Amino acid sequence: MSVTTESGRDRARFTAAVLGPDTAPVPTPIGIRVARGVVVGVTSYMLCLATARGEERFLFERVTTFWRGGEVGSEDLRVGDDAVVRCSRDGRLVAERVWVQLARATGVIVDRQGDAVVIDPGHGRQRRSVVLPYRTSGRIAVRHPRLVPGHVFDAVGVWRDGEVWAARPATTQPPYPLRAAPHRPPVRTYTNTLNGIATWYDPSWGRSTHLDPRALATGAAYPALDRESHTPGCDARTPCVPLPQLSVGARLSLRNDCTRETGVLDVLGCAASDSWLCDLCPTCGGQGAGRVACLTLASFVAFGGSPEEGCFNATVTVATGEG
Amino acid sequence: MPAELMQTVEAAREVQLPLLAALLALGAVAKLTPRSSGSGLAVLVPERLRIPSTVAVGLLEAVLAGGLLVASGLLGEGTRALAAAVFAGSTAVLLLVRRRAPEAGCGCFGGLSREPVGWRTLTRAGLLSAAALATLGLAPTGGSVLTSFTWTHAAVLGTELLVLAALSPELRILATRILRREPCELRRHPAGRARRRLHRSEVWRTNRPTLLSSEPEDQWRHGCWRFLRHDGLRHGRRVDVVFAVRSGGNRNTAVRAVVLDRESQDVLASYGVVSTRPLPGPPRKLPAPRRAARQEAGLRAGAEAERTLHEAVENRSGDPWKDPEAGRPV
Repeated sequence: MSVTTESGRDRARFTAAVLGPDTAPVPTPIGIRVARGVVVGVTSYMLCLATARGEERFLFERVTTFWRGGEVGSEDLRVGDDAVVRCSRDGRLVAERVWVQLARATGVIVDRQGDAVVIDPGHGRQRRSVVLPYRTSGRIAVRHPRLVPGHVFDAVGVWRDGEVWAARPATTQPPYPLRAAPHRPPVRTYTNTLNGIATWYDPSWGRSTHLDPRALATGAAYPALDRESHTPGCDARTPCVPLPQLSVGARLSLRNDCTRETGVLDVLGCAASDSWLCDLCPTCGGQGAGRVACLTLASFVAFGGSPEEGCFNATVTVATGEG
Repeated sequence: MPAELMQTVEAAREVQLPLLAALLALGAVAKLTPRSSGSGLAVLVPERLRIPSTVAVGLLEAVLAGGLLVASGLLGEGTRALAAAVFAGSTAVLLLVRRRAPEAGCGCFGGLSREPVGWRTLTRAGLLSAAALATLGLAPTGGSVLTSFTWTHAAVLGTELLVLAALSPELRILATRILRREPCELRRHPAGRARRRLHRSEVWRTNRPTLLSSEPEDQWRHGCWRFLRHDGLRHGRRVDVVFAVRSGGNRNTAVRAVVLDRESQDVLASYGVVSTRPLPGPPRKLPAPRRAARQEAGLRAGAEAERTLHEAVENRSGDPWKDPEAGRPV
């Protein structure tokens, strides 16, 4: 399912007409391995989800794993939960991994109230309150030692009562506040294939995922969005990866360096908070620092990423029609 | 001590006043610009005091710069002593910064001083402190030194500027920022500039009658290219006219356009695209007559030689060649 606007699709068509078909490759559909919806029934051997396609059932096998702020069993799934399912390669019926109530908070800390911090995601989105429960606060504090306004925060957790309950950190916080972050040194030459890390965001914020078309949207938010062709509110900085300037509707090829899955993604919006961070991804020992794209949750799972880890090493290619 | 040497020493002392004032003013401007806190003294103070401390140091430097230029008498002496103390104090602060945060810059010139504090920065602060001390007891102000500037002053100032340049890591960063232009894919490309370039182009003039409005309906960016889509009418059919304007590069080939039918989405016309196929070369210049004659003679001689060789090969007996009809040797 795609939430690319008509304008975005037209832009890709027009770009291809002027600069050649390589500049706007056909986006890869999400495939049948990923499903998302609301849990309507769960037993020890089967999960029943209400999705946009109707009611879907997924069987559990011995290897099926469940995540809800940590590794849990099938008995911890409740009716009404938002669930993301990755099916096994053999068939759509068998669930390989199920994530429940998955949430992520990326942004700059604007306030601290007791054991909660308020996060500004940075591109006109609503501020979110992130609770740091005692159980996980130690783990969060190891990689986020400065929980004070002005510093960057990125953690994966679960939705509970409209708040994000942080479960594990998704990055190592830079030691300086956001406004003192160093500039990227000037780059002399441009290469259209760039290494970095890909992260994820949830465009539907975990609400009504069986009705909202954004819940299974394919695409990515992009950290180097052109300012003048975008609505105001994208307060992105120059990202530390020398990414070319693009607009909503552009297409980029992405490769998961850990699983070697490849595909083409639509640029859906601004990834302001991802342009602020210049971090590494320890998932499979990659060397590329800096965030190249922020995939939608469905695309991230379809590319073989583990949302609880927050990132994977990625190679992004943007055909700019030069040469 | 000879009089000339005394004069040079005096000029060297005097020239420190405008030099220190200029350096302090530059430092103040750099510190008062946004995003300059996060290095130097700011590293040593708590988070909430970082911006106030940077602004306070910037203001102090601005006051000192003004004082060195205009203040005379007791006030002038006080300003010079304070400047010397500030430079000496900054040397101590830099030593502390180096110990506490080895990767932090000195922040002397705001965002430009991001290189870690090294011996060059420390030496510079020490030298400037000494220079401020040397100005104690001088009668003229910085402003009056500037009005009565001599060649001796200029020579001392030039030498000192060279020494300071060697001790300043900021110059390299400044040169990098000014000289290194990022590739067009990464640069910001203002829409206004792209539109001016479009309106000056032949492609725009050719397509202008097709357009329904000179304002674009949509615009977007793809690498070096900025796209502008206009509504148009061509032979009674609604069309989309898409212009692409390149940032940088050759001005003559920087604008392209395609006209697409809105219903069928077919490309009806394309403008400004340079063919990638090799074009036939320009006609060659004819050689000069004398050279042409020589070349032709050479060709003829070659043909004659080939003919005689051919005949020799065919006539292996070595008898003189006879005309088969007349029976006489040729």
